[in-house]
Parts: sequence; C-alpha cells; structure tokens
Amino acid sequence: MRRILLLIVFVTLGVTNAFAQTRTIQGKVTDAENGQGLPGVNVVVQGTARGTTTDVDGVYTIELAAAENTLNFTFVGYKTQTVQVGERTTINIALEVDVLTLEDIVVIGYGTVKKSDLTGSVSSMKGNDLNKIPAASPVLALQGKIPGVQITTASGAPGAGAIVRIRGVGTFNNASPIYVVDGVILDNIDFLNSGDIQSIEVLKDASATAIYGSRGANGVVMVTTKKGVMGQEYPTISVNADYSVQSLTNRIDLLSGREFAIIANEINPGSYNNVDAVPNTDWQDLLFQTAPIQNYQISAAGASAKIQYYVGIGYFNQKGIIPKSNYERLTIKLNNTYHLSKNVRFGNNLAFTPYSQQNTNNNSVFVVYRAQPTVNPYQPDGSYSPVPGVGNVLADLEYTNSYGKGIRSVGNFYTEVDFLKYFTFKSSFGVDFSYGKSKSFTPVFYVDPQQQNSTSDLNKSFGDNSTWLWENTINYTRNFGKSSLNAVVGYTMQETASEFISASGENILRDGEDFWYLDPGNIVPTTVNNGVSDDLNYSMISYLFRANYTYDRKYLLTVTYRRDGSSKFSKDNRFADFPSVALGWNVINENFLNDVAVLSNFKVRGSWGVIGNEKTRYDRRYSSVLNGVGGVFGAGEIYTTGSTYGPSGNPNLKWESTYQTDIGVELGFLEDKLTAEIDYYNKRTEDILIDLPVPGYLGNGDGASITYNAAEVLNKGIELNLGWNDEILGGLKYRIGAIATTIHNEALKVKATGGEGDYQPNGAGTTRTSVGLPLGAFYGYVVDGVFQNQAELDAYPHLSIAEVGDVRFVDTNKDGVLNGNDRTYIGSPIPKVLYGLNLEGAYKGFSLSIDFQGQQGNKIYNAKETVRPALYNFEQHVFDRWTGEGTSNTEPRSSAGGYNFLPSTRFIQDGSFFRLRSISLAYGLPQQMIEKIHFKSAQVYVRGTNLFTVTKFTGYTPEVSSGSVLDNGIDSGGYPIPSVYSVGFNVTF
Amino acid sequence: MRQFTIISKRILQVLVLVVLLPVSCDDFLDKPLQGKLTQENFPTSASDALLATNGVYNIMLKSSFHFGLFPIMDIMSDDARKGSNPDDAASTIGPFDKFTHIATEANLSRWWSTLYEGIRRANVVIEKVPVISMNATLRDRYIGEASFLRALFYFDLVRAWGDVPKVTTSTVPLGLPRANANEIYDLIVADLEKAISGLPEKSDYASADLGRATRGAAKSLLAKVYLFKGDFVNAEKYAMEVINSAQYDLMPDFADANSKAGEFGAESVFEIGAIGIEGTGGVQYGNVQGVRGTPNRGWGFNRPTLDLMDAFEPGDPREDKTIVFLGEVLDGITIAGDGPTLDETYDTNGDLIEIECYNQKVWTPGNNVPTQFDHNRRIIRYADVLLMAAEALNKNNKPAEARVQLNKVRARARHGNNAILLDITENNKDLLHEIILHERRVELAMEGHRFWDLVRTGKAAAVLGPLGFVAGKHELLPVPQNEMDLTQNTWTQNPGW
Repeated sequence: MRRILLLIVFVTLGVTNAFAQTRTIQGKVTDAENGQGLPGVNVVVQGTARGTTTDVDGVYTIELAAAENTLNFTFVGYKTQTVQVGERTTINIALEVDVLTLEDIVVIGYGTVKKSDLTGSVSSMKGNDLNKIPAASPVLALQGKIPGVQITTASGAPGAGAIVRIRGVGTFNNASPIYVVDGVILDNIDFLNSGDIQSIEVLKDASATAIYGSRGANGVVMVTTKKGVMGQEYPTISVNADYSVQSLTNRIDLLSGREFAIIANEINPGSYNNVDAVPNTDWQDLLFQTAPIQNYQISAAGASAKIQYYVGIGYFNQKGIIPKSNYERLTIKLNNTYHLSKNVRFGNNLAFTPYSQQNTNNNSVFVVYRAQPTVNPYQPDGSYSPVPGVGNVLADLEYTNSYGKGIRSVGNFYTEVDFLKYFTFKSSFGVDFSYGKSKSFTPVFYVDPQQQNSTSDLNKSFGDNSTWLWENTINYTRNFGKSSLNAVVGYTMQETASEFISASGENILRDGEDFWYLDPGNIVPTTVNNGVSDDLNYSMISYLFRANYTYDRKYLLTVTYRRDGSSKFSKDNRFADFPSVALGWNVINENFLNDVAVLSNFKVRGSWGVIGNEKTRYDRRYSSVLNGVGGVFGAGEIYTTGSTYGPSGNPNLKWESTYQTDIGVELGFLEDKLTAEIDYYNKRTEDILIDLPVPGYLGNGDGASITYNAAEVLNKGIELNLGWNDEILGGLKYRIGAIATTIHNEALKVKATGGEGDYQPNGAGTTRTSVGLPLGAFYGYVVDGVFQNQAELDAYPHLSIAEVGDVRFVDTNKDGVLNGNDRTYIGSPIPKVLYGLNLEGAYKGFSLSIDFQGQQGNKIYNAKETVRPALYNFEQHVFDRWTGEGTSNTEPRSSAGGYNFLPSTRFIQDGSFFRLRSISLAYGLPQQMIEKIHFKSAQVYVRGTNLFTVTKFTGYTPEVSSGSVLDNGIDSGGYPIPSVYSVGFNVTF
Repeated sequence: MRQFTIISKRILQVLVLVVLLPVSCDDFLDKPLQGKLTQENFPTSASDALLATNGVYNIMLKSSFHFGLFPIMDIMSDDARKGSNPDDAASTIGPFDKFTHIATEANLSRWWSTLYEGIRRANVVIEKVPVISMNATLRDRYIGEASFLRALFYFDLVRAWGDVPKVTTSTVPLGLPRANANEIYDLIVADLEKAISGLPEKSDYASADLGRATRGAAKSLLAKVYLFKGDFVNAEKYAMEVINSAQYDLMPDFADANSKAGEFGAESVFEIGAIGIEGTGGVQYGNVQGVRGTPNRGWGFNRPTLDLMDAFEPGDPREDKTIVFLGEVLDGITIAGDGPTLDETYDTNGDLIEIECYNQKVWTPGNNVPTQFDHNRRIIRYADVLLMAAEALNKNNKPAEARVQLNKVRARARHGNNAILLDITENNKDLLHEIILHERRVELAMEGHRFWDLVRTGKAAAVLGPLGFVAGKHELLPVPQNEMDLTQNTWTQNPGW
C-alpha cells in the first residue's frame, strides 16, 4: 500500500512544464460586493493546464507564453470570469458571488464537490431547516426531509436522541450510520447544538460511502459546522431564544374504575360487590404533566486578515412530561482557521458539551398502563396504596432518584499545506473524549411485598471513553483543458479506549443527597464492577484513495478504494478492501439539449461498490472465562468465589460486506423552478454477524447465543425528491417539497454453521427473522375468530388450554395439530414507504413553514397489552368481548392473561401514520426599522411540533422504535413523544 | 518554481515520513481481551482448579436452577397448589397446577438450560483438572465434586425429560441427538462411582468446606438413582453404606432438618449453602415460597394443600412444622398473611378447597426479603436416606431391617410423645411398601420429592389423575419448544406433547 502511495506522489510530481519567451501578469482578485481580496482563486491560462492561485490578499502572479492571451478566474461560490490579456501586465478582477453555485457545493468524505460533478447519491440540508425542531439532537431536524432516511425519535424523554436508518436495515447489529463532524468520525452528534451547524450531508450510495470503507454500510452523515468567512472583518453576532411547552399528545383509552370492576367480576366473580361504588383513578392523569424546553444560543463569526473564527455558546434545558426527568446542556463551539502563510493553514474545530440529566423511573408508562383503576392512589392515612401486580407509580416516582452528568469534548486540529500548485496535504488529529458519571439512590420504603426496599441502596458509576483519529491526506486538483481531475490519497489511524467502574452500597446513613457516597462501611463488595465497554475498545488502520474525473462538464467518473484493518477481528480476517466505481453524465450540457429551454438540469448517474460494517463488540471472537461465580461453604456460610467458562466466542468472525448499486436521475425544469431527483438503490449485505440462539445443551446458559457471520439481507427501493419554487402575486415566494422512499427489506439467508438454527429471534420471542422475511418480523399465532361453542372447539385443532370463548388460532401448517409450529410471520415493523411534504411561503416579512411526515405499511406489536402475569387494566376494546355464542368473533371472553394473550395477530396494529411534524409562522422586522437599531435582521416566530398525527395505532405514538433491529416496532410502553408549542426570536447584528 | 517554498519543502519531507511511518499494523491492531482470561488459559493451576470447582456449585445459587425458579415439582403434585394470590403468575405457574402446561413455558427452558450450564461447568473440571500438576488428593476431590454435581444435574434432566443430549466435554459440538435415558443413567452411575472414590467423607472436610460434595452424598444420590432404576439391591447397598458410615444422624427436632439452625447439621447429606442477601450468594428459592404479606414479604408460591394436611397421622407434630398457618407465631413473628389472598377459598359447591398457608420448610427467621435468601435448600437429608434404605430393604424381602430404618424416622418425628406415631410392625411387603411411601410423603413434604416418587412408583395416574395428570404423557415434561425449534425438528417430542 505504501508503494502505491509513493507512486502516486512521484507520478504527479513528474508533471513539469517547460516553456520559453514569457511575460508576467499580476493583479488582485476581489469580492465584487465588498472589495475584499479573495485568497485561493484559481487563475488558469486558458487552453493549458497551467495556473496559480491568489494569495491571502487576493494577489496573483502568472507567466504567459507569447501566444497565450486568455485567463480564467474561477473560485468556488463565485461566477467564473474569462479575461483577454492583450497588452496589459496588471489585471484586477472583481468576482461576483454566484448564488446558485454557492448552494451547490456538496461536502463528501475527505473533500467537497460541485453538485453537478457528483456521481454519488448525497442529500443536503442547511440553514434554517436545521433549527426547526426543539430537541437536543440536531438529527431530529432531518425527519421527513431527506429521501432514503428514516429517523425515529428514540423516546419522548428529555435529551433523547434519534434512531437513524439509511436505506433500510442492512444488519442485525448496530444499524446506525456514522457521523463525520468536520472530519472526525463519531457515533452520534447529540453533543452538537443545531445552531452551530452549517450543513448536513447524508451520503447514501457506495460511491459516496466507500471512502469510509468498513464504516460506510449504514450510510454516512457529514456535518459541517459554522466558520468565519474570510473578508468579514465586522463580526456577525446572532442571538436566538426559544421557549417551548410540551404536553402529552393523546391518551390511551383504558377502562375506568367501573368498567374495570365489571370485567374483573367476570374474571373473578365477586371481586367487586357494587361496581358503581368503586374508586375511579385515572393513572395517566396522575403521571403526566406539561413541561418546558428552553433553548438559547449566541454566536459570533468573522475573520481578520489571517484568522477566521466562529464562537457559539448554547444552553438547552428540557423538563420531561413525566416528573423527575430533565436534561440540561451547555454547548461551546470554537472553530478557527489560521493562515500561517500563503500556502499553510492551521485550524481547529472544537466542541465542549457539559450536560446533566435526571432519569425518571423507566417503567412508569408501563405501570400506568397496567394499574387497576379501582385502586385509590393513596390510603386514608396518606400512604401509597398497593397496586396489584405493578406497584404504585407515584411511589415509584417518589423513590426513584437517578442522575447523570458528564462532558463530551470533540474536535480536531489540522494543518493544510498547498504545494506544487495542485497538491494540498492535510494532517488532522481528531479526538472524542467523554466522561460521564451517574448515581441513583433508593430509600427504605414499603408499599407492599412487591414494591418495597428494605435497605437503602446507592449505585454509582463512572466511565470515560476516548478516541483519537489521525488522518493524513494528499489532495490533487488539476484541470487539463476540458478535463479536470481531483484525487485524494490517505492513511489514517484510530484508537478507541474506554473504562468504567461502578459500585453500590447499602444502608446509607441518611436519605439526603449529601450522603450519597460509598464508604467502606456500606459498600457491597460483590457489586463493584470495573472493565472496558466492549464496543469501545478497538483500533483501526486505513488506506484510502479516490479520484473524480470530469470531462467537458459532461462525463464524470469516480473511483474509490479503502482498505481497513480492525483489531476487532483475528489476524487472518483483520483487513478488508472496499472499492467502488461510479459514472455520471450531465446530459444537460450536451449540445443537443441546447434548444430545449424548458429543461434546466438533466443528469444520469450510477454507482456500484462494496462497503462494510464493523460495529461489533471487540470481544465476540474470544471465549472468555467468567469470574465471580462462587459457592457458599462452611459452617459460617462464606461466599467463596469461583470461575468457569463463559459463553463461547467465535474466532472466525469477519466483516459484514454490503454490495450496493445505485442509479439516479436528476432533472430541473423552467430554470430549476421544478426539480426532481430519483434514485434506485439495491443493497445486499453479506456475512452479517448474528447472535444465533444455540441449544441449551451447549451449556452457555439460558437464552445464550453465539455470533456467526451467518446472514444476508437485501434492501432495495426508490427515492424521490421533488421541489417547486416560485414567486407569484407580486412578492409571495413559496416552495413545495416532497420526498418519498420505498423500502423492500428481506433476509436472504439466516443460517448458522452446523445446521442449528435458521432464524433469529428477539429476546421475548415475539419476532423471528428468517429467509424471505423482513428483519425483526413479528412472529406468533394467526387468529381467525373466537370459539363460539364446544362443537366448534372440538372441530378445530386447538391448544389443550383453549376453551369456548377463546380466540381460535389457525393451524397454519395444516398438520391437524395446533402447537408451537403453527406460529408464523404476522407482520413487518419496517415501513414500505416513508414520505415527507414541506411547504414554505414568504410574503412581506411573514414566512410560514409546514412540514408533514409519514410512513406506510409497517405494523406495531402492542406488547404492553400481552404480558399479563396478574390482573391488569385493559384497553377499551375488551368491552367487545365474547359473552356467549354469536356475541363476538374478534374479541375473546374476558380473562386476566394466559392463552388469549399469547403473541398473535390480535396484538398487531397498523403502524402507518401521517403527522404534522412542524408548523411555524415567523415575522421578520422590516429592513428600515432594523437598520435604525443597527441590526442585520430580527425575527420573531411561533411554532408547533408534532401537533397531530393521523394513525390507527392505539398507543401514545406510532413512532415506536428500538436501537435493536430485532425489537423494532414493539410497543412496551415507552416514554411518549409530546406535542410542543414554541415561541422565539432571532436577532443578528 | 517559486511557489515551492521552503515551508512546502519541509512539509513535503514530513509528509513522506508520515506515509512511510514504520507502524507495525499487527501490534497496533492487537487488542487482547481486557480483564478476563480466555478459555485456552484456564484452568491451569491448583488455585484455578478450585475456582473452576466452585464455579460448578455456583449454578445452584441461580434461581433458574430450582425448577426454573418456581417449585413446579411440588405444584404438580397433590401436596401443593400454585399459591400466591389467584391472579399472580396464573398464566405462567398456574398451568403446572392443573397439568395444562405446554412446551413453551419459560420455566422449562430456564431449568433445562441451567442444568446444562452446570454440566458444562462440571465438564471443565472433569476435562481440564486431571492434567494440572497439583496435590493428587485434592485433585481427585475436585474431580469428585464435579462428577457428583454433574450426576445431580443429569439426574434432574433424565427424570424430567427422559431422553436428553449427553454432553461430556466442555467444547460441545452442535447437532447432538437425544441420548437414550438408560445411557444417561449409565453416565450418572459412572460419575457417582468416580465421586465416591475421589471424595472424602463429611467428617474429613474442614469446617470451612461444609457444603461441598462428600462420599456420603455421592452414595446417597447413587442409592436414589438405583431406586429410580428399580435396582433395589444396589439401592440398599449404597443407602446402608451411608447409614453404616456413621457420618450422619437425625436432628433431635424434625423442624431443624430444614431450619436455619439445622444448616449443615448432622442430618445434612447435601444442601445448597446460601447467605442472606438479594445478590451474590443468596438463593431465591425460599423467597419465592416465603410467607406473603406483612411481615415476611415472600411471594407465597407452592402452598400446601388440604390433602397434604389430611395425610398426616392425627397428632403428627410434623404437620405444624411443615406448614405455616395464619396466626402462627414463628421466631416471635405473628403470621398475618396477605391482604389480597383469600384466607379460605371455596368452590362453587361451597366446599373448602384451599386455605392461606405457606411452606414452613423454607422459613427463615427475620422480617425482610434478604433474610429469605438465606435458606439452604436441602437436596438430600439423612431421613431421606433412611427411608430409601427402608424401601429398598422391604423390596429385597427384609421387612424387619426395613422397619428399623423406618421407625428411626418416626421416633424422631414423635418428639418424645410416645402416644403418637407408633412404631410400624407391618410385615406384609406390599402394605409395608405403602406405609414407607406414606412416610416419605409426610416426612419429605414440600421438599420436591412427591411428584418423582409418585411417578417412579407408578402411582401418579391414580393419585394425580383428578388434578389433570394424563398417564403416558405427564410422567415427563415436554422438551422446551425453543430447544425443539433449534434442532429443526430432528428431535421427537415426548409422548403425548
């Protein structure tokens, strides 16, 4: 590999020029708008490959041969100028900003490219769109905006992030994309304030992602943060303040006290003597509250002659709609570029994010769902009433005290050197350090035998993880007549390490927070735990190469190659190659389209490549020894420690590889009033690492599994992105955008070696992924009615515990026996279509923006309704129950749990939804008024988020998600996602 | 070229160095396991051998070792009902009470997997410790302990499921068939014979090692295995060897056979040591069955039946020492019971069918949950050995000798009151057999023996039929459905399931 790099260096060095009889031209290139010198402008002798760039003051010097007479001045973001030299020796040029092209620069891995030169599938989002969603994670702003990307709010809890799936789900493991923030590769960007972000680019196809090799298979999200602009000597200062109120969007229709008593009497006759005289406790009302979000941001950006700077400071504070949950964060962003000389730049992009949070009892929603409404929350003496089976949620809340805090520091320092005209060398040292700690305390309390704590408990944990990433690249950019070539080669190293320690103590002296410390007297020795995070302990070495070649602005070629080595795999499987190739054709630039005035853009592109996924734990290949497994011996009963074999590892593990093909068409009509981008994608992932359940007799323990490279998954579909911009009625500007994505997701292979296991279940056994089905497909019995009478029961195969009035399961394998083998595929958690609709209009200072978002074709498994070890509250539909022959053929007789609650189609609901994601109305103060108070702009706005959702799902929100691919779409009673009402203002001066 | 400045030259030099940087990929990309040994490196020393042996015992601390957590073997008998309040675990434990359980019950797969986990841990010792250079006596003891425990685990498996996979190595291959139950019994016998030769007697252990497998425990378990195989000659041989070893005695008070005070006492042949914490070292077996409600905070499963109460002879003090009744005062604590649980439950005819009461054999003094984790579950106690001997002697036509062992148990139960539990004088072999089985029921009630005894003596259908037991089906449990699924139907399910 090293030799190839050297070869490239020397070949390009070898290109030299020899000429005689020259004259020297010099001058200064300035910005036409402000007269500032423009550094880095390309000055090229037309018809040759020779040229130079302007220095930091915009000054250039170039030598021309006798016959040469024309100079081209080109600079990204400005309109190109062509000048006849004639007899002049000094030529000063003022370049005009090209608004169109400025927006058309796309950030890709290790570089940027003009949108028209792009061969890959990349979607961008920038500006104000990023600030529309009042949430800690900037990713949530992308929801419903980018084709091919499914973004699900992870939870309604304060500070919760997002679950991101790009072009379906191609792995059973971590299916999240990687994030590249100003060149630093990260797992998430929850530490970033969206106000500090300039643009977000989502790289989707192999041509775009292969440069990230083993980490590209789930897609790449490129984030560019704001920087000061050269020439902007007077700083721009922005202030933004936003205040929101969150509230529960909708309630679940559960039984009232009286209704519950009626049903309970049917199940256990005599439970309530008078159903009209029972308490009626609305546990949902008792749990949920309205809660505020505050978000403030101030930033300053500008540049002196040698330094560009950006400073942003933000404060975010979100309280939860469930008591005792909140999240508070400070974001500090410092981006500087120092121009050390004409050719050498040094810079830093730094982010510091301290945060603290309080976590409420995670189980509260599930408890409220199950609590019997006939129980008063308090007893006459004021103590908490026992709530059968689930406990009293108010007691849970009171006795739960859980806090976390930490700081994350992410950034890089880099040096860029321009040399030999066409080359730029860049060395970047990036870091991602985070430190976090948490503590939780439970006092002594007693509600009932199931809800009590007899000794006070304190748990503490401390953890840090650190990543350093050193990337060295050489960029080569050169135009040869009609051809232009951009190439990058690089060598990178990365190491990630982590360590945590946790411990707990009992019998804490006093309940107050001042006493939440562990000391030798209260610590429980066996609960001390210290180790590394298994997914944050690895190192990597990579070699990368990419060449973009453009001929005559018509024909485009991109070749990419990356070779990655990872410590996560054993020596033989450690390195893997990830190549890709892409072709593009700007048909619009062909002469035969010159006369087709209606057409303003027409590009066809296609790509193919291999990308990988290495997001697995480092220890999966090892068979480890389990420590701390002892016995109790002796008259004095002493616990004596022991060790034994832990679960088996698999030393033969290797990378997951994704083969992706993409074909895209980009169209523009009527000077791009109407734009369309259509992509077809086909991703086939092989050698997916899956934890296959292994037989109990292997002795790995209950529910144990072993990791194999044993699965193959296909994702394919079409992405559509349509836009219409226009201005009517003398000044009403509007834009309509629509996106849609189809996803076909299918497991092509799920098979372990040795013939054991051809499916992948989730922990609860409610999903089972097997060949031909989507990942995480729901699994259970098919219900086709209710047994109306004994004759019917006798006539059908049934489980021995089924009785008249119970649901009738279908003998799906038609073997005349009803048993576990009749469980089958009962629905997919993956939507078939994702879509979004964005409307914007602006008129005389007012602007209105409405975003809709939706998905179609997925199912939700209402798991919270099924797990019933005791008598719990019911959803309203229990009142449609069977009470005798002919009364119901859908809802079985009432029962506390058991047979009728086995996983079946009865609990599968349509997960499709259509949501008003965001609506905002803003008013910008008139220019004259602003200028009087020396502002550049001032705007006030009101905004609503998640105001309504159209869905058939009966839970709080159809956005039911899980970080685990196998537990997707299972509603077990998560933290509801609230509706949010906001007001705010932006001022720049 | 002017642009090629000094700085650029220097940088280029650095650049070339960077690209040529002599990094050894292999070293940089080598991340060994942190904080843990790999299996290739364990066990390799005498201290490792002890750790590995202790690791086998650890299985018995897991709640899932105890019938998958709930004492389903008693609940599946005429001695006990599900317990707790009517709704609690009605769908998960309730089925075992009515013989409506099916192959997907989670308790079954938990129990199955945990027993095999124990077998693998035993295999580590049996396979690796022989090649460790160390004290030979100690080495034989460790191997003997592991062999005893492996036999104990297989004995549960073969009794519960019949044919089961035979695993005798720590690196287990996939694709194993269900081995014939006889093959498993042969392995159990061989393991116990090995344990007998390698293990010391109870009195040869240091006090700190009480609770480890002993020669007497291995012989007692072997006697029991032969009883299940119907080999009464060998059952008698090993039971009598234990009796004649003079290592054991009955505790003076029947209550102490299972009490906190009697832990590791004279009657203890093999028991699971536990300490009173809800964590490492504690065992949940007592908590699951413990008195529900104030002040004992147990779950209250496995509730003694009226039928069991009726089984005690009039005045038998063991009834009160087996069952916690409401209002009873134990260790100074008045048993108030549980609010939502009915004190008395009647059927639709108005007949009393169940009263709120609890299993006293898991009682531990104290008023909080952790103290309930302190109960040492007795796996084999001396009274069981005496009754096994009596049963085998009678089967081998030695009724007088059988009565000697049987009457020892009754004499102790009598607790000095000569008016009750008179010595048995029955000479008829069949009648004496019935008497011995009855004695087993009342002496060992709620200790997990009743279901097995009914099945092995062929009485299950007659006794348990009214509760839902189907002959030819319920003698064995269904192989857990997930295990069946994993074999892709190459295994045959047990008859009737």
